[in-house]
Amino acid sequence: MSTILKVILDKIKAKNPKHYEKLVAHLEGYGTDYENLANSFFNKYNEYLERNQKSIDFGVDCYLHMIEDMLEERFKFIREGKYSNSSFDDVEKRIYGNPEIMTYHMHGLVLAQFLWFDQYERILFFIENINKYAKGGKKYLEIGGGHGLYMNEAVNLLTNIEKFDLVDISQSSLDLAQGIINTNQVNYFLKNIFDFRESETYDFITMGEVLEHVEEPLNLLNKINQLLNKDGVCYITTPINAPMIDHIYLFHNETEIRDMLNQAGFEIIEERIVISEKITEKQAAKFKVPVMYAAFIKKQ
Amino acid sequence: MEREQILKDINAIFIDILDNEDIVLTNETTAADVDGWDSLTHIQLVVAFENHFGIRFTTMEIQGWENVGAIVACISSKC
Repeated sequence: MSTILKVILDKIKAKNPKHYEKLVAHLEGYGTDYENLANSFFNKYNEYLERNQKSIDFGVDCYLHMIEDMLEERFKFIREGKYSNSSFDDVEKRIYGNPEIMTYHMHGLVLAQFLWFDQYERILFFIENINKYAKGGKKYLEIGGGHGLYMNEAVNLLTNIEKFDLVDISQSSLDLAQGIINTNQVNYFLKNIFDFRESETYDFITMGEVLEHVEEPLNLLNKINQLLNKDGVCYITTPINAPMIDHIYLFHNETEIRDMLNQAGFEIIEERIVISEKITEKQAAKFKVPVMYAAFIKKQ
Repeated sequence: MEREQILKDINAIFIDILDNEDIVLTNETTAADVDGWDSLTHIQLVVAFENHFGIRFTTMEIQGWENVGAIVACISSKC
């Protein structure tokens, strides 16, 4: 029987065979656990699409559109050595406030969560450790929930949590996350994180791939520090050298991220770093290849 | 600029970017013939050509190249 993962890969193969070959080569060796998790989430995504009178072809087309954008951004990045965006206001107007772009970009990212092995490693690191660090907690917050994958897993894995909050700056993202997660256990907030919750604190905070979307990531980390309980833990991820249509802040290496986390008053408990291509660290640095950085952090 | 000279220059760029002294390009060479010439290094190569020759390619041009000869012809039309 054909799984949804296979259906997606077959459709990519038909429309962009070269990209398909690269994906398959990168995913080689990931076994049943990977397939089960990918199929479970993609089935939820497919159900969401069907409830909205769309098919998985829509998701695949969005994904392929997104990778075309990425190629353009990558050329600009290699030519100029910087991301094409420098201002949050510009990105907000051009991307977050543009439902058409946001829609294909967000749907594209849904598929990327399991089609890109570095993204799979990111969720795997979260799943493998979340119970250890969120144990005993009651209040959980996700900032920038995007496609809903992390909140979906948190709701499934953390039976001790009494309150799940998700805050995002984009209505398109919230709609997508809400539609895929499809549960009434989560509270959704359409807000800029800097305007969110002045007094309440959380036992666990997840913030995946958000730091690179702001001009001053240190301010955002300081805000997380305010929102996190004294003994709380935060799961944070951000990419290095990863140009995208909505990325603003460029981290050149993991040292810059670690230094900023320390500057914001955090201590790294454990981290995972994955190069997005099957190449050596030396080659990754030479070619400025995107690198996924993820860490569990706590207050110093 | 002479096509022969362009071919020589881009051969040197290939050697530098792919870190392989043994590369010998001809007009018929394709990505399948050169170890390490993939979608990742292609971007680096293209930007290195642009910088070396002082030109800029469009996405359409880059996507239309089938072999080294097509790259040489494209560069030749711009210099």
